[in-house]
Amino acid sequence: MPELPELNPVIHGKLRLALLSLLVGVEEAEFTWLRSKTGATDGNLGAQLLKLEEAGYVSVKKKFVQRKPQTIYRITEAGREAMAEYVQALKQMLGGTIG
Amino acid sequence: MTATNEELELKDRLSLIETMIAEGRRTTGSYGWVFLLWGVAYYIAIGWDILGHNPWAWVITMTIALLLMMAILWYKAKQQTEKNPLTRAGRSISVIWTATGISMMMLFPAMGFSARFTPQIFVAVASAMLGTSNAASGMILKWKAQIFCAMVWWAASAVACFTSVAQCTVVFLVAIFLCQIVFGIYLMIVEVDQRRKVASHA
Repeated sequence: MPELPELNPVIHGKLRLALLSLLVGVEEAEFTWLRSKTGATDGNLGAQLLKLEEAGYVSVKKKFVQRKPQTIYRITEAGREAMAEYVQALKQMLGGTIG
Repeated sequence: MTATNEELELKDRLSLIETMIAEGRRTTGSYGWVFLLWGVAYYIAIGWDILGHNPWAWVITMTIALLLMMAILWYKAKQQTEKNPLTRAGRSISVIWTATGISMMMLFPAMGFSARFTPQIFVAVASAMLGTSNAASGMILKWKAQIFCAMVWWAASAVACFTSVAQCTVVFLVAIFLCQIVFGIYLMIVEVDQRRKVASHA
């Protein structure tokens, strides 16, 4: 029986997975947009984004627009690769479970 | 965890990825009014040019339409409480239309001022440019309605080469009506419907 791959624990958390999936589809996104799409609280969202940033999966840019602070997130190349590997592993595991 | 529970959770993760990617790419922007605005502007310019015999009709109408569009876009961006992120498809489409707009704004006044302008060449070139932009946008969005508009523009472009001035004006008016006015209104209806669906899911 072939050995099933392990799922990346950094991505596996539901909110972190949702965040990376959102960021895959866009060039960059504001904190407020990510919050509205996920429905997460500011504290939880900030903590999960920090974990993704520490893993090198997202990059952060802070700027002021009309004197208002904006935090903008962008998925990195490492983040894209990790997502691709995660989806691959997920499909392989599902194939293994179903089959 | 049992095998079935694990399987369900894995499927749940896969479904979450698909939903979130689709959510990120969903646009709530509205651009139907842009097609309508330019369609009406073309009609005004043609009417003013033919009936008013004003050589500045096109330059003045196009400049006002451009300023009006920029003012509305600026106002809409200011009113928006939550900025939608830019997608690659969105950026590509925006670049295509900006480039088309710049090409038209450079070429047609130059053709007019150099007296190398004939209505047939104008309709043929303008229609070909609009056909190219609509086709590129339609192919990026995989949207048959816009690809149909591109085909109408391309047909108008080819037909204009074989017609009299009066005939090519009619061809241009028909293409504008279908691809700017009807398509613009259709797009606005689709956008209202899309926003209603987004609101009901929120």
